[in-house]
Amino acid sequence: MEKNVIETDVLIIGGGTSGCLAAVELKELYPNLSVTIMEKAHVDRSGCLAGGMNAINAYLNPGETPESFTKYVRFDSCGLVREDLVLSMSELFEYCVKKVEKWGLPILCDEKGNYVPRGRWNIKINGESLKPIIAKAAKNAGAKILNWVTATNFIMADGKVAGAMGFSIKNGNFFIVKAKATIIATGGAAGIYKPNNAHDAQHKTWYSPYNTGAGYAMGIRAGAEMTSFEMRYIGLRVKDTIAPTGTIALGVGAPQINSKGEKFMAAKYAHIGGDGAPTPYRSHGPLQEIKEGRGPVYLDTRHITAQQARDLKSAFLDMYPSMVLYWAANEIDPSKEPVEVQTTEPYVVGGHTQSGYWVDVNRKTSIEGLYAAGDVSGGAPYKFVSGCWAEGVIAARAAGEYVQKTGFAQIPENVLKDEQERVFSPLMNQTHKIDGINNYDMEVRIQKIMEEYAGGAATFYEVNDERLQVARRRLSTLPDQFKYLMAEDLHDLMKAHEVIDRVYVAQVLVEHMMYRKETRWPGYCTRTDYTELDDTNWLKFVNSRRDPETGNIEMFTRPYEQIVPGDRYKPR
Amino acid sequence: MPVIIHTDKCNECNGSSNPPCVRMCPGDLWMKDPKTGKIVMRNASDCWDCLPCVKVCPQEAIEFRLSYQLGFQTARLLPHIHNTRDFITWELIDTNGVTDKFTIRTKVLPVELDESIEGVTPAEYSI
Ligand SMILES: Cc1cc2nc3c(=O)[nH]c(=O)nc-3n(C[C@H](O)[C@H](O)[C@H](O)COP(=O)(O)OP(=O)(O)OC[C@H]3O[C@@H](n4cnc5c(N)ncnc54)[C@H](O)[C@@H]3O)c2cc1C
Ligand code: SF4
Ligand code: SF4
Repeated sequence: MEKNVIETDVLIIGGGTSGCLAAVELKELYPNLSVTIMEKAHVDRSGCLAGGMNAINAYLNPGETPESFTKYVRFDSCGLVREDLVLSMSELFEYCVKKVEKWGLPILCDEKGNYVPRGRWNIKINGESLKPIIAKAAKNAGAKILNWVTATNFIMADGKVAGAMGFSIKNGNFFIVKAKATIIATGGAAGIYKPNNAHDAQHKTWYSPYNTGAGYAMGIRAGAEMTSFEMRYIGLRVKDTIAPTGTIALGVGAPQINSKGEKFMAAKYAHIGGDGAPTPYRSHGPLQEIKEGRGPVYLDTRHITAQQARDLKSAFLDMYPSMVLYWAANEIDPSKEPVEVQTTEPYVVGGHTQSGYWVDVNRKTSIEGLYAAGDVSGGAPYKFVSGCWAEGVIAARAAGEYVQKTGFAQIPENVLKDEQERVFSPLMNQTHKIDGINNYDMEVRIQKIMEEYAGGAATFYEVNDERLQVARRRLSTLPDQFKYLMAEDLHDLMKAHEVIDRVYVAQVLVEHMMYRKETRWPGYCTRTDYTELDDTNWLKFVNSRRDPETGNIEMFTRPYEQIVPGDRYKPR
Repeated sequence: MPVIIHTDKCNECNGSSNPPCVRMCPGDLWMKDPKTGKIVMRNASDCWDCLPCVKVCPQEAIEFRLSYQLGFQTARLLPHIHNTRDFITWELIDTNGVTDKFTIRTKVLPVELDESIEGVTPAEYSI
């Protein structure tokens, strides 16, 4: 095992959607800065975009403005968002989309050369190769790329972030990357709850199973302030394949129906938009139908033509090919029968909801030297691909400016030594043949606790204080078990750290769910002991900070600020 | 099994020490067996069904299969990248053997057969 020590002006952790755009922006603005990307897989096909994309889901179509977008996102998030963050990202959608188009992404245009909208905020793309396209732009811009290096912790010096440490899953080298500024862009967290499918389809999840909350966990361990973990993401997806439903619902205008053929969203949620209700309600509505015995629930596609069904399949091939094979394998024709849907396992993902780092408008976190962008960053939901790009750009601009007036920090030697020991201990345990735990066993353990006591799918995502107390108590014993984790090889070692990271995320998540004593986002987090939305007491952000010394998680709130005028519960 | 490898088609990318299928899996699931030099799957149940490994293989040696619990065995989905790299044709065969084809615009970038790894020379990194 060797040590690789690298010095770079800016370190970007996670070479995904936001990480790649951040790298390009930095090199364009400051060609002389050294920029390094640390990526656990290979930037060409890593993260959420590995399979491809078929739409850009956050875009200002003609007639829309950052204000109208922010209004919509506020409505969609049940009246509570960081409006400053949503405004600032939407101002950059055009800039980012034009850039990526220039790099070669095919975007569908009509005869007049205008982008083809798919719903109010979306445009259609042929994004099968979107990830290699943006990765190439980052390489061409001159960023140094460390593929297959899993980040494990920040280097902390004098209360500031001074880079990060990690290890190569290919050769076991310990990486010490010292940086003047660091951008965390590792995406959200999957695998905290029991997955929808089992056995050889256990990773047939919607969110990338390889985004395991590393960035959250690193921040939590370092004492960064986090926000809104309790706004979990539980999406409405196609049954079994867990494929996104936007392609169908927006693509061909398919309403939800129950087993009696009733359009229940239109009937019961008309006051908040029916089938266009805020996203959490579009999961909550069908859940209630199923709970009350009117499942299965479907998206009614029976009105579409054979050509439209083909177009749907083409769209899925660009993003989620397994959907098309599933229909072929099960003799399903979406123009003849409705498409059955279900809700996903809960994820923590700040690009759909708003869980993540508490940041200022420059995406600076509460720790000096550290910026956050994309799904790992909080307060700004409805980011999707383009919002993640925009946040990468914003963080890059701020980090670039910051390094102009900072140098490299003095790093205490024990910080590096301690981490090296922590990182490789599962391998050592294997060597010494201790009576240990393998990563999969611990993964199932945490998923079982979360599923049963912290609002998993089997309990209709419902929680109450008593159940959460059990989850808290059971989770609290896990950190003491890390010392028994074993890893046979470097791949296993990566997986051991993934499960460790998930435990930190799960602990913070449980505290957040317990703290917000209202139900703001039914479906995402329904509290059976506080069933109503309560603007009088809870129109504010629930934040947390784990004390790195004691390990105690402190909970507190931050005020909400309305910037865009108007009714917070209206989409326009 | 979400993905399978047709070993008769795989030529190990002419002795590549770090071939495209191994490099492009976001979950690090394919590996080159240090003893035999063959490409092997570490753990099929960790597969996300995202298909980079399938699309990147120059020999079309890796095939995506639906996990049996989700659907029947005989259906197949085979992506073919055009030589011009700006189109991909997906060949879809349903359980009755009926074939359908979808040709879709894209922009596939060229992929090297090998790539070095930070920190060591290629000969050293087999584990
Ligand atoms: C299946 C699916 C379909 C989607 N479809 C669309 C769509 O059509 N349109 C749309 O607008 N949005 C879509 N989205 C949403 C969008 O893709 C994501 O919100 C966005 O890509 C997130 O960007 P990110 O940079 O935060 O994360 P990612 O792009 O996932 O990047 C995170 C990166 O960090 C790396 N990483 C993780 N942990 C570590 C670690 N410990 N060390 C080093 N690196 C690490 C990962 O490998 C990855 O490369 C979709 C999402 C999914 C999952
Ligand atoms: S890319 Fe294809 S041919 Fe090359 S090693 Fe992998 S499976 Fe074999
Ligand atoms: S389909 Fe995706 S996750 Fe599965 S082996 Fe291929 S690249 Fe890896």
